[in-house]
Amino acid sequence: MDKRWPLMLAGSAAALAVVGLGAIWLGAIDVRASTGHWKITEWVLHGVMRASVKAAAGEAPQPLDPDLVAMGAGHFEQACLFCHGAPDTPRSALARAMLPPPPDLKEVVATWRDQDLFEIVQHGVRYSGMPAWPAKGRKDEVWAMVAFLRAYPDMTGDAYRRMATAPEVAGAVATGDRQPKADVLARCDACHAADKLADGSFVPQIQGQNQAYLAASLRAFLSGERESGMMRVAVNGLAPEELDQLAAHYATLARAPSPGPDRPAPTLSEAGRMLAERGDASRDIPACNSCHGAGSGNPLFPRLDGLSQATIATRLHLFQDKEAQPGGTPYRELMRKAARKLEERDIKALSAYYGSGQ
Amino acid sequence: MQSALDPAGVEAQAVYWLFWICVIGGAIIWVGVMAVLFYAGRGGREAISQKAGQRIILIGGVLFPTVVLAALLSYALWLMPTVRPVTAQANSRLTLDVTSEQFWWRIAYPPEGDLPGFETANEIRLPLGERVGFRLHAADVIHSFWVPALGGKMDMIPGRTNFLSLEATRPGLYRAPCAEFCGTSHAVMGLTVVVMEQSAFDAWRKAQAQLQPVAAASGTAPRPATGNGPVVAADQTDRGQDGLAIFQRHGCAACHALRGTTAQGKIGPDLTRLGERATLAAGALPNTQEALAAFIRNPQKAKPGALMPAFPMIPPEELATLADYLRASP
Repeated sequence: MDKRWPLMLAGSAAALAVVGLGAIWLGAIDVRASTGHWKITEWVLHGVMRASVKAAAGEAPQPLDPDLVAMGAGHFEQACLFCHGAPDTPRSALARAMLPPPPDLKEVVATWRDQDLFEIVQHGVRYSGMPAWPAKGRKDEVWAMVAFLRAYPDMTGDAYRRMATAPEVAGAVATGDRQPKADVLARCDACHAADKLADGSFVPQIQGQNQAYLAASLRAFLSGERESGMMRVAVNGLAPEELDQLAAHYATLARAPSPGPDRPAPTLSEAGRMLAERGDASRDIPACNSCHGAGSGNPLFPRLDGLSQATIATRLHLFQDKEAQPGGTPYRELMRKAARKLEERDIKALSAYYGSGQ
Repeated sequence: MQSALDPAGVEAQAVYWLFWICVIGGAIIWVGVMAVLFYAGRGGREAISQKAGQRIILIGGVLFPTVVLAALLSYALWLMPTVRPVTAQANSRLTLDVTSEQFWWRIAYPPEGDLPGFETANEIRLPLGERVGFRLHAADVIHSFWVPALGGKMDMIPGRTNFLSLEATRPGLYRAPCAEFCGTSHAVMGLTVVVMEQSAFDAWRKAQAQLQPVAAASGTAPRPATGNGPVVAADQTDRGQDGLAIFQRHGCAACHALRGTTAQGKIGPDLTRLGERATLAAGALPNTQEALAAFIRNPQKAKPGALMPAFPMIPPEELATLADYLRASP
């Protein structure tokens, strides 16, 4: 008798499996969103989600730069608002009919640590509608979203609207087949309008940038060749010809000077000038201006004047990052090599130099 | 071209004789020993006396080796000042700085009189019959400097300066391999040494020294904001562009210098008067337009591990113009 229990156990397991598969095959398992979960199912799923996110979250980050909030706001408006609502927009009825319904962020953000929010935004949440970040190597963008989310619960509707949209679209008056559509321009200007770019802004100025460079970059964002979750969403649904029109539009607008302080720390800026003009051959660092200066005459190299310190530093860090795929022109490997040997102090110096209107 | 058995320098000549004396002497002694062994091994002979045996051991085993080895030692000691002329360093009128980097050679000629100094790469020109000193440096890993036809080998060690001097006795073109494994392209890291008559050398040096870097326009002067549309289109309308503009436009000047122009990058090899060099890419390729274009397009093929990025984005006709320009540059 005693010796037969393994057989009975195996028999019971097989019977259970048959019943389970039978239930699936007969369609007896309910997947309707309308009826909601059982309490216990919801408790298990939600518990698993919270525990899993906290377990997978990495190190606590450095304090988040408050200037990242604006960068996050523009993307939130275009990508997240439909499900989560915004400070001045309630969640749509459609989104609330999802299972699970996307949470009201004003309530839930405080229950997560920064690194948990990063984990959720970067990787998404399985079995819910939360998508993963559309670019693998752009941690900087995800951190901008975390900074935005932190500021979210205390944000007024007006403040949000000012940050996330363009009040009026510069140069959109002209109409015609060759002009970009006004709603597309509004989408770009929501983040890139020159009057939105402050000293520490993480959003690059695109007006007055070289047309060939802008066109190549936009096409690379569309194809995914240049990684960016934010820009991939922004160019989503646009035809390559529309991207070229956008490039032409922004290239003809006047370039504003760098929004940085007029007088950065003199020693830093001087070190930056040396690197920019001469490089440091002993460390295999070429002079930035040999490509980005007036001498090269190649419109595929972006001009660096008019960019903020934070933009320059972020781009240099991206070019050093093996996971990120920055650069949208065929010349990006050159920049990757050039940035390889830069140390943190070099990046500080270069961003101080270029970001202060020199 | 790259043989220690075809000496063209004072030091290589001394080593050449030492080598043949050792080889021939060794062969004679070996034949003698074998003959004695053969003789001793023959059967049917009476044993020699103990006294005779002791004498043979004393003469053949002690006296003969002592004399031979002492003679060789004396000869070698007598050769040493020639082979490693420690004092000649100060005596040489011309001393070059040679720095090895993965996988090429940076060469600096010093100023002399009115002539300013200059930097070149991968090819050294030497005057015939004059002792030339070399200060040897390494920028990254250990390399070794060895011109077999001219003289001895000397390691190049990061953070240290080693000295060597050579005196060439026959004009010609000699190849020098890197003689210490230094990475994936060690086997294609070659240096060309050209020994010239004094007058020809002086003319060459003067011509090189007259090409000095031109001050570049500094700062970030704004360029036309609209650009010219896609680069390719711009080039098709203006195919006869001069090579220097192409050189600048694709960022070559960030790493390479062309003395006599504003291009003065110091990271990669100086490309001034590239056309006169015997080889391309430090001995990796023949100096032809096709080889140069192919190298620019994909340096990793001829030189695995090289720092230079690939330039597949340069349109073929521009690449051909660029290669012609570089090989023709004065």
